[in-house]
Amino acid sequence: LGLCTLRHGAAGQGQSTPAACSPQCRCDEDGGADCSGKGLSTVPAGLSAFTYYLDLSMNNITELPANVFRNLTYLEELRLAGNDLVFIHPEALSGLHQLKVLMLQNNQLKTVPSAALKNLHALQSLRLDANHITTVPEGSFDSLQQLRHLWLDDNNLTEVPVGPLQHQGNLQALTLALNRISHVPDGAFANLSGLVVLHLHNNRIQEMGKNCFSGLDNLETLDLNFNNLKSFPEAIQTLPKLKELGFHSNNIAIIPEGAFLKNPLLRTIHLYDNPLSFVGRSAFQNLSDLHALMLRGANMVQDFPSLTGTGNLESLTLTGTKIRVIPADMCEDLSVLRTLDLSYNEIEELPSFQGCMRLQDITLQHNNIQQIDHHTFQGLTSLRVLDLSRNQLRFIYHDAFLSLSALTNLDLSANSLASVPTAGLSALSQLKLTGNPAMRSSLSAKSLPKLRSISVPYAYQCCAFMACDSTPSSSERDDRTKAVDAEMERVPLVVHCSPSPGAFKPCTHLLGSWMI
Amino acid sequence: HKRNLGGNPGCTGGCLTCSLYNGCLTCLPKLFFHLERDGMKQIGVCLASCPKSFFGTRSPEKNYCSKCDSECDTCFDKNFCTRCRAGSYLHKGKCQESCPDDLVPSDTKRECVPS
Repeated sequence: LGLCTLRHGAAGQGQSTPAACSPQCRCDEDGGADCSGKGLSTVPAGLSAFTYYLDLSMNNITELPANVFRNLTYLEELRLAGNDLVFIHPEALSGLHQLKVLMLQNNQLKTVPSAALKNLHALQSLRLDANHITTVPEGSFDSLQQLRHLWLDDNNLTEVPVGPLQHQGNLQALTLALNRISHVPDGAFANLSGLVVLHLHNNRIQEMGKNCFSGLDNLETLDLNFNNLKSFPEAIQTLPKLKELGFHSNNIAIIPEGAFLKNPLLRTIHLYDNPLSFVGRSAFQNLSDLHALMLRGANMVQDFPSLTGTGNLESLTLTGTKIRVIPADMCEDLSVLRTLDLSYNEIEELPSFQGCMRLQDITLQHNNIQQIDHHTFQGLTSLRVLDLSRNQLRFIYHDAFLSLSALTNLDLSANSLASVPTAGLSALSQLKLTGNPAMRSSLSAKSLPKLRSISVPYAYQCCAFMACDSTPSSSERDDRTKAVDAEMERVPLVVHCSPSPGAFKPCTHLLGSWMI
Repeated sequence: HKRNLGGNPGCTGGCLTCSLYNGCLTCLPKLFFHLERDGMKQIGVCLASCPKSFFGTRSPEKNYCSKCDSECDTCFDKNFCTRCRAGSYLHKGKCQESCPDDLVPSDTKRECVPS
């Protein structure tokens, strides 16, 4: 029971005899008593007066009578979680002047036991989560001037307990999540200047006062996920220290211009699963600490958002929009970008990504891109995955992939290509070319030494990469045998090629149509 | 923390469903599911509060224990520590090796405290 270090002045009273304990508990000589999960219906007697940690969780205690802990004046942590507590006598906790942590979660309380809390002047952490609390009486926490962490989540609150919270200048972390709060009024947290974390997720919040967060000068984390917000939470503009913001899974359609202007320290913004239709072009400017931005399905957005001043973005996902043009200077703002997902837009032309030297993963599938120029991917020596599938590619410059020495996965399927340049693809292990009906010529395995998997438009093209049982014409065989022998020393044959040739799909290309 | 709270009769400790080999598979409402190491095995347990260096995450579908930041002994969520490991000091939910100017480190409390 490695519960705690030796307490000062409490357990070590020079006694040689073991500390008193209750037969239903396990006690250690540091003043810790574990009586959890013993089926107890009352607080056991006989505990040492120097007990500083008492765990009574997961028992069947339904009420706490008056003065039940009066001998335990050194108690600092009391755990009563997971009982069936319905009633706590106003004097039940009297005498616990040194109590710092009180755990009452997972019980049956219908209201905050404010009378019982009144003398806990040293209390720092109070857990009341997972009860059935519908009301927080005025003044419930007034005497708890050292309170730092308060859990009221998973209860039945229908409003923010504004009054009871108004004197909690030392409160640093508060959760009101998983309640039935539908409205956050102005000034709801006015005096909580010390608050750093506020969780309001999984409520029913539809509207918020524009000044509902005013006073939260030190708030760093705000969680509004899984609510019914219909408009962008403008109230965040009074949160200068905000770093982590979540409002995903709401009903927000518009991210306005300058949305995060007053939140320059933002590191993460979770806003997915909102029916976004419009995002202001300047919404994500000047967020120098933002590392990831994910915008999906903002189907009315036509302009690529301006990311000036957001220079530490490592991951950008912008899909499902009407964007047709990527700004030529995009990489000037995003020099540390590592993953870029611009799939499912209407992009026709690509700029040069040369400035984004750290790019490892580019997804551009499902756009209208027609051509890849020689400078498009130039200099991207860290690029590993490139997905250009489902575009309208007709032409790729012969040296377009020359510098992609780290590329392992290339997907060009479902385009209109007649050929594919392989120069520079020495590290490629997976290549997808299906769905390019005009690509009839045989492919050469020589320039793809590391290939492990390839999908091609026609089965006969697999014969260059795998041992085929059908017998090609003698001249083809001689060439191929020489080529295969040459390759065998250097390059093992491809592990998987599809569609693989067979009896009805011989290696020879029969009169141009497989239907015969 | 073993207590049969009315789940499947074969299961104890707040499990709703369990298996002999894996312990709890799902928990009774409002309890936190946690994978505890048992030698080479991991077994599922259902808890009213998560063990040290873990914090509880509640959601309508399930409640589970998640790891605190490596510096924390205990925490409120992944961004906010409530007690630090020995050698670092708590200030506004962060565990630091030194304290801001107007505060001094307290080794017993493992916090930055007014000088």
